[in-house]
Amino acid sequence: MKTSIKLSRMAISPIHAPLLPITLLFLLSPIITHSNDLHSELIHLRSKSLLGLIHLKDNLLQRILSIPSPKPFSSLIFFDARQLHAKSENSIPSVKYEFSLLSSSYLTNNPGNNTHIFFFIIEFEESKSSFEFFDVKSIPHVRLVPVRVDDVKKDCVRMGASGFSMGAVSMKEFVETNANVYVGPIHTRPVIPKKMMMVIGAGFLIWSPYLVKRFVIGNTILQDKYVWMSGSILVYFFSVAGTMFTIIRKAPLFLMDRNDPAGKSIMFYQGAGMQLGAEGFAVGFLYTIVGLLLAFMTHVSVRLKNKGTQNLLMALGLFVSFWAVQKVIYLNNWKTGYGIHPYWPSRWK
Amino acid sequence: MLCQLQFLTKNGIYDFWNWFDDRTWYPLGRVIGGTVYPGLTLTAGTLWWILNSLNIPLSVETVCVFTAPTFSALAAWATYLLTKEVKGTGAGLTAAALLAMVPSYISRSVAGSYDNEAVAIFALIFTFYLYIKTLNTGSLFYATLNALAYFYMVCSWGGYTFIINLIPMHALLCIVTGRYSPRLYIAYAPLVILGTLLAALVPVVGFNAVMTSEHFASFLVFLILNVVGLVYYIKGMLTPKMFKVAVTLVVSAGLIVCCAVVAVLVALVASSPTKGWSGRSLSLLDPTYASKYIPIIASVSEHQPPTWPSYFMDINVLAFLVPAGIIACFLPLTDASSFVILYLVTSVYFSGVMVRLMLVLAPAACIMSGIALSSAFGVFTRSIKFASIGKQDDAGDIGNGVTQNHVVKPDRNEEPPKEKASRKKKKEKENVEKAPTAAKKSERRLLMLPMEASVVAILLLVLLGAFYVVHCVWAAAEAYSAPSIVLTSQSHDGLHVFDDFREAYAWLSHNTDVDDKVASWWDYGYQTTAMANRTVIVDNNTWNNTHIATVGTAMSSPEKAAWEIFNSLDVKYVLVVFGGLVGYPSDDINKFLWMVRIGGGVFPHIKEPDYLRDGQYRIDNMATPTMLNCLMYKLSYYRFVETDGKGFDRVRRTEIGKKHFKLTHFEEVFTTHHWMVRIYKLKPPKNRLRGKTKKSKSKPTSTISKRSATQKKNPWQ
Repeated sequence: MKTSIKLSRMAISPIHAPLLPITLLFLLSPIITHSNDLHSELIHLRSKSLLGLIHLKDNLLQRILSIPSPKPFSSLIFFDARQLHAKSENSIPSVKYEFSLLSSSYLTNNPGNNTHIFFFIIEFEESKSSFEFFDVKSIPHVRLVPVRVDDVKKDCVRMGASGFSMGAVSMKEFVETNANVYVGPIHTRPVIPKKMMMVIGAGFLIWSPYLVKRFVIGNTILQDKYVWMSGSILVYFFSVAGTMFTIIRKAPLFLMDRNDPAGKSIMFYQGAGMQLGAEGFAVGFLYTIVGLLLAFMTHVSVRLKNKGTQNLLMALGLFVSFWAVQKVIYLNNWKTGYGIHPYWPSRWK
Repeated sequence: MLCQLQFLTKNGIYDFWNWFDDRTWYPLGRVIGGTVYPGLTLTAGTLWWILNSLNIPLSVETVCVFTAPTFSALAAWATYLLTKEVKGTGAGLTAAALLAMVPSYISRSVAGSYDNEAVAIFALIFTFYLYIKTLNTGSLFYATLNALAYFYMVCSWGGYTFIINLIPMHALLCIVTGRYSPRLYIAYAPLVILGTLLAALVPVVGFNAVMTSEHFASFLVFLILNVVGLVYYIKGMLTPKMFKVAVTLVVSAGLIVCCAVVAVLVALVASSPTKGWSGRSLSLLDPTYASKYIPIIASVSEHQPPTWPSYFMDINVLAFLVPAGIIACFLPLTDASSFVILYLVTSVYFSGVMVRLMLVLAPAACIMSGIALSSAFGVFTRSIKFASIGKQDDAGDIGNGVTQNHVVKPDRNEEPPKEKASRKKKKEKENVEKAPTAAKKSERRLLMLPMEASVVAILLLVLLGAFYVVHCVWAAAEAYSAPSIVLTSQSHDGLHVFDDFREAYAWLSHNTDVDDKVASWWDYGYQTTAMANRTVIVDNNTWNNTHIATVGTAMSSPEKAAWEIFNSLDVKYVLVVFGGLVGYPSDDINKFLWMVRIGGGVFPHIKEPDYLRDGQYRIDNMATPTMLNCLMYKLSYYRFVETDGKGFDRVRRTEIGKKHFKLTHFEEVFTTHHWMVRIYKLKPPKNRLRGKTKKSKSKPTSTISKRSATQKKNPWQ
């Protein structure tokens, strides 16, 4: 979330969206839109959306801005660009999701008194001039149009990195401090909607006698010990590979070497406090393969009748195991900088 | 902790139970009986009492030092017993030998490491052993012992929740996979009933034993087990046809009751704010929980997720052997072996979330590796031993006779002893009856590997074991033997010793009043209490988040606000740890963001972004004004520029942002030889004005040693 994508890289060209038209629009439009009309229109627009978000376009924004200060409501605008959703380094969809959590929580917490702030989403492709007007060069970008606006550019507060740092919770803090509006606790939406849960629950209830029967008879996949065996080996593999570290710290699979013009990727990171995803999987594989080969030798290859095959398998297994152990020791010493050494009696030196 | 033991030995158990310690967590104080796990203190106290009644006059400190090593020996013994129950004596001995050396456990059991985990790991393994023993024998005697062992574990460590979730999981697994037996009922029911009652006796747990959802799994499984037990009982009484009818009737009615119970449970749990789970347990299930919401948990380095070298450091070559152990436990799968598999899988998952739980994984890894090594050695040595015999007499009787023994061997523990005995008798009968069927006999082949390959394999395994020993000795020597209070560093011109901590604590104890309160970050709380014998505001037992947050807020505030906070807490001295001069990375400036986060969690005016420039934590001239004016920065870098003229911080590898400044509300009273500990005194209110206008007190001297020499004088004399 910390990195932000430069929009200039993508689209806005100076010819496309000059500042002039929107300024002219302000000057020429019949200045005072009746604020009450706009207010009820916004409530109507909001009621159409489940999450309480309003799709904002240039002309609507301009009407909002044209209401004289103090305005009857604040506006929180999320600047979105659909074309950048696919960029993985910038989690715009997740920020957008958190933003929608904020708006839906506001509506849930303040059922009778919810017109102090409106939540908007504005799309880059449709409303380039608004992006230009607010000088939005990179996203994620969230801006608050407070109640008192004398100078649009100065008084509209931009949400800083702190606002994004902890998702909807920090956004809520931003709104509560800058717009002076009570949002209340954030309600996260369950992964599966309520109705779906009920359907699943009912389905499970109907299914359960059959399941119980199958368990009693004993031919489910859960009663196959080889399934459990592979499951445990997999859990072991993922744990020793440090997958949890990769998930919690959001470590990438590999890095691109910036110093290398050929763009070679870095798979192994030197330093014990950090690891890359691919590196973890590689070592996790080495950790696991040795044990698997040993088990293969002691439990499977003993049952073979052919001496030659046994010899071949043993030689292969031992060689690979030796190589794997030696590789992990080497990698560990390289990564941590420790040299593991035996302690000899001092008179041997 | 040491104070607790001293109190216990001096005043006895009842006074200890009701002890209100007013020296820690000033000004709150602490109800010791209700906030500590008393297991360790009571154990050490009992040891001391026994030794003294045998006329062995050991001091309390000596007993503390040797408690952990004693219990590590007991843990190895318990590991032997547990593994023996699972896979026989050979595996048990190997596992015990591995556990005796495993670095992860050495870190908690070296002499002088006086920590809950030292006794808790023994209690954990022993509880598991008794559970398996009960499961194998069906004896109520062992079941009762099991509940007592569980009680001891609850007394010792918060990690007991692992047991009370793992055993129900295993019981459920047994039921699901159709392995229900009366022995399972005997092993499980007394543990839940007696264990929960006993656990509720420990004040720190109390009604949590029945109120928090960490314990709910055990009750739910208890319910299911009773239902299943009833079903099996009825099945034994009715004819198969009647039983079928009964099942259809009962299943439909029972399901409705079950659903109602589950719904009530879910509603109860959902109504509590954290859904009934404590933060530490939540962080295990949802690994990202703690790092998002609970800075006091996320700030501790032990609670970080480990990278792969951590596994190599802590369990070393066992990481290679464990998969083989898992497979060996599946062939054949018994109640006992399924339990150790479950233990391994859950502990390896949890260790992946929190590096501290590597300690729980270590015994499981030792058991698995012990089983793997012992079965591998079994196969390889058998291949060498009988290779010559096999050659001489290919289809010979001797070979076959031996073969049968060896092939049957792995099955020995498949069944519990009672059934095993009856089976054996049956087998013998069958053997007698079918003795002449020689054709069948010759079909059974000696399961062997080629001799040469076996020799190489044994050599490699011995090599692997030797490497394990070398690594463990190395790890014990390098990582766990050095006292953490005296630091050393090896450079090209020899060994440097940094004894700054003891210097600072000695200064505190000699130059300050007994009743003076010292504030520092909580990491140094225990040390200050024990070594300087002064009252601290917060210590390493982090039970009160708000109090820690207050100290964090003070450190993050500007001087005046900080002075007010500290003054309100009656603090006289503030101690900061600073590594910028010698390059000691775990100093307070590096921990500072956690102080901000923990402080900000309670006091919203402290905001992390105010201390970050574009999301980066920096202390150079690009640092934010809030950062440069906060107390921690000022106390750490006060007069730092006088050391080299530039103020170059060797940890952050940069020149500091604000070099020349004066303190208005604090005065420096002592800085240790390497500037690692700096102690400041709060200026009394009436002197503050004088302190502001006063010109620089004394001309700064050029070298560190000279300065510290002048500083060592007590400024109030």
